[in-house]
Amino acid sequence: MSCHRYEAIHTRRDFLAQTGLGLGAAALAQVFGGNAFGAPAVSSSSSTGLPGLPHFPAKAKRVICLFQSGGPSHLDLLDEKPLLSARFNEDLPDSVRRGQRITGMVASQARLAVQPSKFAFQPGGKCGTRISDLLPHTREIADDICVIRSLHTEAINHDPAITFFQSGSQLPGRPSMGAWIDYGLGRLNDNLPSFVVLVSVNSKRAGQGLLARLWGSGFLPSGHQGVQFRSAGEPVLYLNDAPGITRERRRTMLDGITDLNRLQHAQSGDPEIETRISQFEMAYRMQASVPELMALDGEPAHVRESYGPDVTTPGSFARNCLLARRLAERGVRFIQLYHRDWDHHGGLHDSLPNIAKDVDQPSAALIRDLKQRGLLDDTLVIWGGEFGRTPYAQGDANREKYGRDHHGKAFSLWMAGAGIKPGTTYGASDDFGFNVTENPVHIHDLQATILHQLGIDHERLTYKFQGRQYRLTDVHGKVVKGILT
Amino acid sequence: MRTDFHPCHSARREESTWTLAPLRRIESPAGFFATLRMTSSPQFVLTLLAVAGSCAVHAAEPIDFNRHIQPILSDACFRCHGPDAGSRKAKLRLDQRDGVFRTREDVTVVVPGKPDASELYLRISSKEEDEVMPPRESSRQLKPAEIDLLKRWIAAGAPWGTHWAFSAPARPPVPAIEKRDSKSENPIDAFVRARLAREKLTPAPEAERAALLRRVSRDLTGVPPTAAELDAFIADVAPDAYDRAVDRLLASPRYGERWAWDWLDLARYADTNGFQGDPERTMWPWRDWVVNALNANMPYDQFTVEQLAGDLLPEATRDQKLASGFHRNNMFNGEGGRIAEETRVENVFDRVDTTSTVWLGLTFTCARCHDHKFDPIKQTDYFSLYDIFNQMSETGSASGGGGRSGAIVPVLDMSTDAEREAVSKAQAAIDAVAKEIETFELIKFPRPEGKAVVDSPAAQKLPGNLVATHARPAVNRRDLNGLLEALPFFRDTEPDAPYVALLNKHISAIRKRDNASNNITKVMIMDELPKKRDTFVLNKGNYESRTDVKVLGAIPSLFAKTSLGEGTPPTSDTPARLNRLDLARWLVSPENPLGARTAVNRAWQAFFGTGIVKTAEDFGAQSEPPSHPELLDWLATEFVASGWDVKKLHRTIVTSATYRQSSRVTPALHERDPENRLLARGPRHRMPSWMLRDQALAAAGLLNETRGGPSVKPYQPAGIWEEATFGKKSYQQDHGDALYRRSLYVFWRRIVGPTSFFDAGARQVCTVKVAHTNTPLHALVTLNDPAFVEAARVMAQRALTSAVRTDSARLDAVFRAATARLPAATEKSVLLGRLAKLRGQFGAAPAEAHQLAGAGEFERPESIPVVEHAAWTALCSLILNLDEALSKE
Repeated sequence: MSCHRYEAIHTRRDFLAQTGLGLGAAALAQVFGGNAFGAPAVSSSSSTGLPGLPHFPAKAKRVICLFQSGGPSHLDLLDEKPLLSARFNEDLPDSVRRGQRITGMVASQARLAVQPSKFAFQPGGKCGTRISDLLPHTREIADDICVIRSLHTEAINHDPAITFFQSGSQLPGRPSMGAWIDYGLGRLNDNLPSFVVLVSVNSKRAGQGLLARLWGSGFLPSGHQGVQFRSAGEPVLYLNDAPGITRERRRTMLDGITDLNRLQHAQSGDPEIETRISQFEMAYRMQASVPELMALDGEPAHVRESYGPDVTTPGSFARNCLLARRLAERGVRFIQLYHRDWDHHGGLHDSLPNIAKDVDQPSAALIRDLKQRGLLDDTLVIWGGEFGRTPYAQGDANREKYGRDHHGKAFSLWMAGAGIKPGTTYGASDDFGFNVTENPVHIHDLQATILHQLGIDHERLTYKFQGRQYRLTDVHGKVVKGILT
Repeated sequence: MRTDFHPCHSARREESTWTLAPLRRIESPAGFFATLRMTSSPQFVLTLLAVAGSCAVHAAEPIDFNRHIQPILSDACFRCHGPDAGSRKAKLRLDQRDGVFRTREDVTVVVPGKPDASELYLRISSKEEDEVMPPRESSRQLKPAEIDLLKRWIAAGAPWGTHWAFSAPARPPVPAIEKRDSKSENPIDAFVRARLAREKLTPAPEAERAALLRRVSRDLTGVPPTAAELDAFIADVAPDAYDRAVDRLLASPRYGERWAWDWLDLARYADTNGFQGDPERTMWPWRDWVVNALNANMPYDQFTVEQLAGDLLPEATRDQKLASGFHRNNMFNGEGGRIAEETRVENVFDRVDTTSTVWLGLTFTCARCHDHKFDPIKQTDYFSLYDIFNQMSETGSASGGGGRSGAIVPVLDMSTDAEREAVSKAQAAIDAVAKEIETFELIKFPRPEGKAVVDSPAAQKLPGNLVATHARPAVNRRDLNGLLEALPFFRDTEPDAPYVALLNKHISAIRKRDNASNNITKVMIMDELPKKRDTFVLNKGNYESRTDVKVLGAIPSLFAKTSLGEGTPPTSDTPARLNRLDLARWLVSPENPLGARTAVNRAWQAFFGTGIVKTAEDFGAQSEPPSHPELLDWLATEFVASGWDVKKLHRTIVTSATYRQSSRVTPALHERDPENRLLARGPRHRMPSWMLRDQALAAAGLLNETRGGPSVKPYQPAGIWEEATFGKKSYQQDHGDALYRRSLYVFWRRIVGPTSFFDAGARQVCTVKVAHTNTPLHALVTLNDPAFVEAARVMAQRALTSAVRTDSARLDAVFRAATARLPAATEKSVLLGRLAKLRGQFGAAPAEAHQLAGAGEFERPESIPVVEHAAWTALCSLILNLDEALSKE
């Protein structure tokens, strides 16, 4: 029996213990698949994930999450609020705030003054979804996306809010969404990890740190954690052989390791040794498949150009969007991008246009590129951040120069592909963009919906830890049927 | 009823349509077994994941309540019929004797001896959709074997018991085993072999001597035996040779370093605070305290009391105060907009959770928001522990600590004059640069005399945050983050080269000062407020929603009367209010049934890979029953009787025949017992990644045995910290001897941990279990991490410069350094074949051979021919990556 799961996930004995499967060796061979080395790059049967999954036919085979870290201002991007202009510099009515807690940064502020957006909104596409002038390319794909304007979250600070978005809990220690999905569905590709993370560097090279635990596996076996493909140095840590070790010499060494491990297996009888042999082979294949993936030479010029001029810069959001498409093509299940520095407490008027420019064209190009290749039908794309921003100014209100604080009571994001109703909007916030007034979508609802599109009932994807069955959506979440085709 | 997997009640759950449907035999519609149904269709049930522990029991085996019955009741029933009043259905409790045997309206839940008269059995065996229990929609369904077990239990008189872990361990008699089975006098073997005999399995023979010394050296010291130690041990034919080897290892200073690792994992020790910014802290003196205490064999009760409450001991010494740093190792969120009280409350939670995991093996976290669903832990119990940890002076604000470091008051100042002087010098340098900048800015940002930079129109035109971060603050108040944002603007957008030069100078001066400041050794410790904070239960654990339920520090009520069956009286009239010292002393007193059990179980886990209780973090009702319950209790009582002598416990384990068995396994035995829970063979699993690095260094003769001190920064790929922090943290790799210190001393940045370690605890929250996964990413580390490549290179050069001259003898030496044995003839022929091929390959490419032969910073004698050196380096790397080299055999 050979085992070719990318991240052999857990050892076989752990797998058995964890799932309580009393399977014999023959059944195990089924569970772990029986492909020979050199299987086709994409194969639907390379890993079966958990038995019984998907729970129902899936609309999405894979997910691309374009995470905008720092809290993009919904009021300046996706949720137009003319009233803010009419009420410029008035106090935010108590009837709107309703005792909502505010962060330590504005707690000492004498007043919360209403702050309009200085950016105009226009309708996009046939559907006419109104989107800010800061996102002109996104506006052009308005007919392909669904803008949700009724997101809400409990967290008001970055770390808890991002952790919540990614793992369903504000406190560290739970598995991230990608890890849950890898755990549940397994992988589609023998030569690449099934959960890949790309962190981009924005034009200002600023923003807050991102913590590797955001793509961690929490209490799930560590093989499910996301693998960061880096833009500088080796794309995967320790992927490159030492100077002087060529592929040929590595092969010479590996053959020796394999031969001796086989002898050792005959001696000790531990089946874990066979798994080790296959993992070393997998590592060897990754050393070829990852650089192939990262090299964009084969991409036609018009495709590269469609992602904008930054595509030539390693580590740019544009390049990562193109890489995301390549990863999607190769059967990577969960592709997590991060773009940082949306945290505009001050100087939003200056900074927001820059960062919007970083991401606007590449995001739209990705949707078009996926669509043109027929991949959008089974790829779910999510664009958004951990929370939005306040309709009152941080500091003084000013029509031209302003900043906004964190705000989780209502914010916006967009989704596309894989059974999401294109050319629509969903939910609404009040005239201040402060509270949700229609079709609220909690972060747990969003997570339930993402899992649903992958054919997973979020209440039934669980893992027992500390005596309790845990799930991504805790005890919450309902599928947002209103955005589904 | 559509049931969550999650046992917690739902706040946001959609309203379900509930109907009360009386059973046909119950006249009253309010009958206590009112059935709950939901109108939607039943859910498919994934029973596969439901129970990890096996509840299979042979027909002949007597049914044991604790082992066979209680786990089923807990897992399948307690969610609605357990300790949590908030989610209890039909007012029925199945976690208490009174509930199980109760009769109401002529219906008796369990009639001992009469399954068919027992409502419980009728309900679980019912074929009727609206009366079967658990409800069809529940995620947890009973298997036929479980229903049968419950039936047989009732038929056998339904003997009731308390959950084993909540009663104090009683010293069990050591089973008599037939002498022909064992020469061992070690009681561990008697317990293990009694079970093997029941299972009709025979123990494995003793491991070969070399393998045994390798195993016990790794387990006790974390480093492999030297060739001389192996030779001496193999030559030593005295009957007590092994015992003496064990004594030598227990006395080695490496012992404390090896066992400190496990303790650091559960203490969530790291060198930074975690979260955004991730400032450095200097907790390493606490880490050294742990190593020293372990080496000195400090009794575990004292080890406990000093770490939990050393500061409260009468006439507390500096070391005792230092020990109390245990509960300052938690992360600390100093994010900008953070509400201090939220941070403070989360830190107290962390201390409660860590304490209960380590010394009680219970999942108290569940009771933060509501009464526990499975264990008799009330929310008030949680907050009674919370009250004990709620009395420290920490405010949740990150400011006011130890200068610019992440140390947050209260701290123990252990800095030296030299450290303080370095900081004042660095500060003076900043002040000097600031003066230069001030002068320059009088011209760059023109404004009326006496006005600030921000009043200059030129400064007001600055983009983004720069007005706030650069123009507004006085020059000597500008911080690193602001300057790093300002730099690209003045360099690229509105270039001003002389100004940029000044800014760079400023940045560099601040970095130097911060480094000096970070080196000031201030260890965070515990203290106690003179006037105690009032503690109220927080609704759903939310720091903002205090209830009016006031609680006082107390031992959890379940231990007040140590009984699951008899219920626990309310503790509202508790006279005293316990503090940390009271709690610490209670945790290691005979009143705590779990203090010794959790400790010996973790030790067992370290030696055998899995604890006697596999769920080392949970001994509650949902835990997996112990594989050898009597052995667990024997070890626990023996441990206490020995005066909590940790080295004696370790000695007892490693000198047992059970531990000394060969790890070879037949396919039949593997199929029968894949996890080796029955212990018919010795342990075999991949070593922890930190130990692999130490092994590679030791095999190469590189390991630097310096003990203690500030953490070190060995090889790490460029840009890891920078990428995670946008250049705000820059990794300054050490050189020379520091590269070869033990893994224990490697600097641990929480937001992006050391890259050489895999499957390691994340050092974010308390971790008592380690993973042994097997992935290609791990292979890449041991093949390509410069620390491993350099180790292979130095191994090769030692072989090539040693007295032995033949390939065969050299191969013997390097192979033995990694595996403790000599290669067999077939292995040798494979390896010599590889060597010949590698020689040919490198011979054809001498420039590349030169590259490999020069891997790492350790010096290389030029006298060694590069092709030969490279070929042997590749061969040594091959050997270090063999499964056998990576594994504890």
